[in-house]
Order: sequence, then structure tokens, then C-alpha cells
Amino acid sequence: MSAAIEISHLNKKFGGLHAVNDVSFSVRENETLALIGPNGAGKTTAFNLIMGFHRPDSGSIKLFGQEIANLRPHQVCALGMARTFQVAKPFGAMSVLENVMTGAFLHHPKTSRAIEVARESIDFLGLGAKENFAARDLTTIDQRRLEMARALATQPKILLLDEVMAGLNPAEVDQAVELVRKLSQRGLTIVIVEHLMRAIVAVAKHMVVLDHGQKIAEGSPDVVMQNSEVIRAYLGSAYVKSEEVVQND
Amino acid sequence: MLKPANYYKTIVAVLLLLMLVLPWIITSSFALEIFVRILLFAFIGTSWNLLGGYAKQLSLGHVAFFGLGAYVSTLLEIKFGISPWIGMIVGGLVGMTASLPIGWLCFRLKGPYFTISTIATANVLMLIFLKFRDFAWGAEGTTIPNLGNAPLMMQFDTKLPYYYIVLALLVLAMSITAWIERSRVGYYLIALGEDEDAAEASGVNVARVKRNIYMLSAFLTALAGTFYTQYIYFIDPQTAFSFNVSIEAALVSIVGGIGTLWGPLIGTVLLETTTSLLQSYLGNSIGGIQLTVYSLILMAVILIRPTGIVGYFKEKAHKSSSYNS
Repeated sequence: MSAAIEISHLNKKFGGLHAVNDVSFSVRENETLALIGPNGAGKTTAFNLIMGFHRPDSGSIKLFGQEIANLRPHQVCALGMARTFQVAKPFGAMSVLENVMTGAFLHHPKTSRAIEVARESIDFLGLGAKENFAARDLTTIDQRRLEMARALATQPKILLLDEVMAGLNPAEVDQAVELVRKLSQRGLTIVIVEHLMRAIVAVAKHMVVLDHGQKIAEGSPDVVMQNSEVIRAYLGSAYVKSEEVVQND
Repeated sequence: MLKPANYYKTIVAVLLLLMLVLPWIITSSFALEIFVRILLFAFIGTSWNLLGGYAKQLSLGHVAFFGLGAYVSTLLEIKFGISPWIGMIVGGLVGMTASLPIGWLCFRLKGPYFTISTIATANVLMLIFLKFRDFAWGAEGTTIPNLGNAPLMMQFDTKLPYYYIVLALLVLAMSITAWIERSRVGYYLIALGEDEDAAEASGVNVARVKRNIYMLSAFLTALAGTFYTQYIYFIDPQTAFSFNVSIEAALVSIVGGIGTLWGPLIGTVLLETTTSLLQSYLGNSIGGIQLTVYSLILMAVILIRPTGIVGYFKEKAHKSSSYNS
């Protein structure tokens, strides 16, 4: 399988903070990759760089071989990558259908066709009964669904999901996991930022761990969770077996 | 039974017909003057609403384009003898072109900062026309030479033709708005007004959509400037770049229903009628009382119905439809 996204030596500084420090990884076509790390590790910054909300200081981001590091978000979106936001950003004054149509218009400028494409996304995300609701009246999980539906309506090949499960109750997390799996089965390449280990293990076979802007581990969940750097980053060095602490210090 | 869409079309047709015969039913010249004023500000409000309402870019400097339209057509008429009909289009194009650098500067700023920068650009333009006397008569302004009845020079000996010109302008602006509302651009405008980042991520070229709608809004507003100058036969920087025009454009939209097709018209009818009635009933009693009452009405509308009159009915309709589904 070829690389859907190929990131090499990506750097971004905000003042004195090195938010993303020489990070490289690639995402294969059709896989679901989890980007994890403690708060402030640079996960969302990485998303913002990939999608074009920030310009990287240096480094390259390739989408199916095409350099996108200096493109703006709408251009990246037109090339087949869509995202959701950590804090959902629905167009509050619009109905669910109108929200999703806004995404659908990207490839279908005709209103009637945009409605069809939007409905298909809405049904896929299970929001069919609520298409006339104002987006601002939706519950948290429905707003997340709406964001995914809107992203899906742009007909992406790659979907970036930023903490779609934060703030959901356990039953809702199960629903969300199911959704991510369904999206993956549609053939989408997915990059998911998530804190909830249970959910990550359920959807992703491949993980990249960031801490203080640097990549500290990469691999399958089993391998990554045994990694002493990862344990130190999440739990503190007291939890790392003593001989490894010596090695790493 | 008529379908709702047909109902709507019928009502619009009846309303348009009514507007066409109105000056023949109510013939007093005082009333006609109020009608022209209402249609003019409804037109300016509708033009403003494209940017300020749908895209939520609260410009309070739209008089910049009104003034440019007024000056361009007047300069062309007095210095080169070119008909204001042509001057009007040229003025519109100048306004549209001016929106590019103004937008380039102001769109870097968000929210209240954008608003302040639009006010500033309008003020700069007023100062330019005040200070450069050789070029456009400076502070004294000038009167438009009275040619009697000269339709080709946009001059008429009765008020009636002015009424139809401004009615046509309003119908033009509202038709454009209605078309935009149903098309992709309409969705994009509302989306970027709600959240620019989310719009960008959904494939909307936010900068381009904003620039284009600003150009359209500026073009239409400039047409109003030419019309107004021809209507009052006078131009000076204080009138052509009056801050009140910017305020009124925003106010009629906000009161009537911001980001709605009918909002600016309904808002203008309400505000202008109130002003005129208060003026005639209270104008002679205590000085300034009509303005006080007017301001109180305005405050009441904003406090009770922040989404405006059309917004109120839309919410009601929306609630009932989502409960039914």
C-alpha cells in the first residue's frame, strides 16, 4: 500500500514553544492511525499544519505524493482531506442539512445535487431524523456526528478526527467507535487524535506518540504501550522499570 | 389549495403590483418623498445585508461606496457632461474597485476591529474630498445644474420617476439576494459568518467569497449614491460620506432581520414610518422628543427581538417544523 500522507521533518514554533519538533511519520492508504500524547504534546498543532491552518516553519507534508505544506485549508480539502474540530464548530444558525450541504457544495455546485449528497452523509451518520434541526440545538454527540457528516460530504479520501470522543458517555463512545469503523470500511484513510485508550485500541492498528512536540514512539498499540518513553510521558518516570530509567536519562 | 411556494410567489407579485400603483393611489408629494426615502434605504440596507447580514461582516463604513458613487457620477456629469445613467454604472464600478484595497486592509481584522476599520476608511474618503478643493469642490460642495425635465440626464420635473428608479434598484438588489440565498454562495456566506475555520475546512475559499460579496455590496451601494445626489441636486462631503448612511444601512437590516431577504425592507418601512410619524406628531412639542421616542423603540426591538422581525417569525416557523419531524 502506498502512503496517503507522508510527513517529514515537520517543525513549528510559537514564540519560544517548539510545538512540533522534527516530526516524521506516514499514513498508509486505508489505515486508521491514532495520534496520541499527553495534553500539549502537539497533536492538534500537527493537525492544523497538515490541514493548512498553520504554515510549518520547515518540513514537508505530502498528500498522495503532492506537497501541501503551503496550501490553505480549502485547497487541502479540495485535494481530498477533511477534518473535524476538537471543539465542534457547527454552523449554528444553519440546519443540519444546510451544514452538510455546505460541505457537499465543494464537488456539487448545483443545490439539488448537493442536497442528495448531503442526505447520504447525514443518513450514514444516523442524523436523518434531525436534518431540519438547528445545528446549535444538537447534543454533543450529535454535533460531532454533524461535523463528521459535513466532512464526509466533501467526499474526502482522508479524514482527520480531532478528539471526536471527548466528553461522550461510555455508550456514546461505543457508538462513536462503531462510526469510525464504518468510515474506515468505506475506504477512508483516518487519522484520529484521541485520549481514550479503549477507543484507540478498538479502531487503530498503528499509533504515533507525541510528547513535547517530538515523536517518542510509533508502532502497534501493544508495542507502543510497552515503550518506556511512552509510560514516562503519561505516568511519570516512577512507573518505568528502574534499569530503563537509567538508559533513558 | 396553493402550495406554500406558490403562496409566496403570489404575495410577492401582489406586493410588487401594489408598489407600482402606490404613487397613483397616494399622490401627496410629502408621502411620495417618504416612499422614495423608504425605498432608497431599503435598497442600501439590502446591499449592506449581503456582507453585513449573510456573511456577518459588520461594516459601518458602507457610506464610502455611497459617497464614491455620488462623486464619480457628479464629476463625470459636471466636468465632462456625461449622463448620470452612465456615471451611475461607472460609480458602481469605482465603488467595487475601491472595495478591493479596503477589503484587503479591513478583512485582516475580525469582529469589532473590522467594524472600526471600515468606519475609518469611510472617514478617510470624506477627508480626501474635503481637503482636495481643486478636484471636487471641497467643503462647499456643489449643486447639480437644473436642466428641467431631462430624463437622459436623470432629471425629472416630478418626483414620480425617481420613485420608479429607486423601486427598480430595490427589486434588482432583492432579486440578486434571493438568487444568492438559494445558491452555493449563499450557503458559503452564512457558513463563513458562523465560523471561518470550519468553513475553510469544508472547502470554502473564505477570502475569495468575502472579497466577491464585498465587491457586489459596494457596487450596489454606490448606485444609491448617484441616485441620491441626482434626487437632491446637491453634493458635499458631509452628505455624501455621512456616517448616518452607514448606520442606517445596518440599522434597518438589524431591526428588520439581519441576513434575511425581506429584513432590510421591513426594517426600513418600520423605522422610516416611525420617524416620520413621530416627527409630525411630536416634532413641535418638546425639542428632540421624537428622537428620544425613536431611540426607545429601537432599544426595545433589539432587547426583545435581537434577530429582528423576520428572524422572529423564522424561529417560530423553524420550531414548529422541528417538533413535527
